[in-house]
Amino acid sequence: MSDAINPATARASSAKRHGKPLRATLTPGIVYTLLIIGVLIVVIPLMWAMAASFTPNHKVFEYAYPFTWRALLPVDFTMEAYDNLFARGFGRAIANTFFLAIATVIIGGAVNALAGFAFGRFEFRGKNVLFLTIIMLSFLVPVDLTAIPRYILVNSFGWINTWQGLLIPGLANSLVIFLFRQFFADIPQELIDAARVDGATWLRVLISIILPISKPVLVAAGLLMFISQWNSFFWPLLVAPRQELRVVQVEISLAVGQYGTIWNELLAGSMIAAVVPILLVIPFQRYYVEAITGTGLE
Amino acid sequence: MRVRQQIIPYLFLLPALILLIVFNLLPTIATVVESTFVISLRSGERVFAGFANYNRIFNDPVFWKSLQVTVVFSLIVNPLQIALALGLSMLINQKLPGIGIFRSIYLLPVAVSLNVTAIVWRLMLDQNTGMINGILFNLGIERQPFLHSVDLALWSIIMIASWIGVPLWSLFILAGLQNIPPPVLEAAKIDGANAWQSFTRITLPLLRRVLAFVLVADTVANFLLFAPILLTTQGGPQLSTNLILYETYRRGFVYGDLGASAAMLSVMLVIVFIIVGLELYVLRGQD
Repeated sequence: MSDAINPATARASSAKRHGKPLRATLTPGIVYTLLIIGVLIVVIPLMWAMAASFTPNHKVFEYAYPFTWRALLPVDFTMEAYDNLFARGFGRAIANTFFLAIATVIIGGAVNALAGFAFGRFEFRGKNVLFLTIIMLSFLVPVDLTAIPRYILVNSFGWINTWQGLLIPGLANSLVIFLFRQFFADIPQELIDAARVDGATWLRVLISIILPISKPVLVAAGLLMFISQWNSFFWPLLVAPRQELRVVQVEISLAVGQYGTIWNELLAGSMIAAVVPILLVIPFQRYYVEAITGTGLE
Repeated sequence: MRVRQQIIPYLFLLPALILLIVFNLLPTIATVVESTFVISLRSGERVFAGFANYNRIFNDPVFWKSLQVTVVFSLIVNPLQIALALGLSMLINQKLPGIGIFRSIYLLPVAVSLNVTAIVWRLMLDQNTGMINGILFNLGIERQPFLHSVDLALWSIIMIASWIGVPLWSLFILAGLQNIPPPVLEAAKIDGANAWQSFTRITLPLLRRVLAFVLVADTVANFLLFAPILLTTQGGPQLSTNLILYETYRRGFVYGDLGASAAMLSVMLVIVFIIVGLELYVLRGQD
């Protein structure tokens, strides 16, 4: 490239000589500074909440106002909040939520994988109409918007305060059907043809040929279903307020009203609610990010 | 394909379709139907009432106030979240040592539920002993009633929603940035574009599709914000944070007025359909 002909190229090529032309206004120093400010905004609330959950209740705000670094570490360590929380029956809520989330992953996974398989691998009459109306519509109308009429419907089934009411309405998930459809559509036809020639049924093809090579989509869909069920709140709040069926998110939200001044227990419950999805997302972050962003960019 | 095989895809689809029709589509229709019924005060029975529920809510200042708060909230929170998410995604897209650790940390709010976020921030923003006021105290600034003043409460809700929203939407924009082929930016550089020019003339136009998607998805998500209101301000003070989904919940479940609640939800459905229609329109035209 010839040197400076007009001022614009002159600036560009002089920047180029310094090695980082596109970052002329965004040096690594500025980038790191901004990133660290953001990290503080993300991490300080979590560190304080974690530290405070291991602090005696009367000292929860001790180092927060006025603020010192001690607020971010459990300097007066105690398990009191967790002990009391479990004595109050919080273990039941954790077990309920795990049960519900795992059941959703297994049953919902099967339901959505089958639908994704049909859309991804078959040509049949009405395919596009079904996809555009039912799948797209249920994808585009947010579930929280229709929660109250869904409550009336589920009530007419007699499912209020039951496991069916908690579990069944959330099983079919159009986002997860999208994920499966996309993955299954990309599997080479030869793999399937070989098995079909050998006389395998479609269900057999799905179980013994497709599923073993579908680990990425299974992990992504599983994470998505588990975490959205673990974090779901509005629906369980409406449909299953009874104590024996309460999930973690409902239990902590009710604790805001009932035990509003037992802050360390409130925060201990919140930290349990937060830690489970965090521990799942961090090791599988690539899958999780693909799962939540995949359909939006299709 | 043989006829016998043609039934197979329908069998595979059946469970999902039944569930989606019963639990997603029927309630959508039921919302509109329910909005034309009232519970008779005399007999306690459900009777058809035409537009009575709509008349009631359209003459109700609380409903209009709630709609107004929701519009103001949307006009602030969506551009704010998208601008910050765009900035964040540009930062974590830089190829610098340790950037992976930053990406992991910014994923934390995305994994945490809105409830937990709201509970933690409710205590952080406490007027008397919260940490934010603690930090202000260290800086010599007096206590702020973050969740208890008409001027600050909505901003506090915006902040709580953005703690999750900004990192969440930045993931989508980051995926869009990574789809831009490096040669395109190289070419701009060779043609003498500076960083700002290549951002406004190349990066932004190539991100248009992603940004359009994020704008619509963000707008719908914030339009339906609920948990932070329930767990912090409960619509107050003086209805200044009474967002529309919280108002429908209050009508339906606190006051037991399902007719008015359904009428409000029907109005919201129309609004969501307009937003979603825009989404389809914007995304369709590009392929």
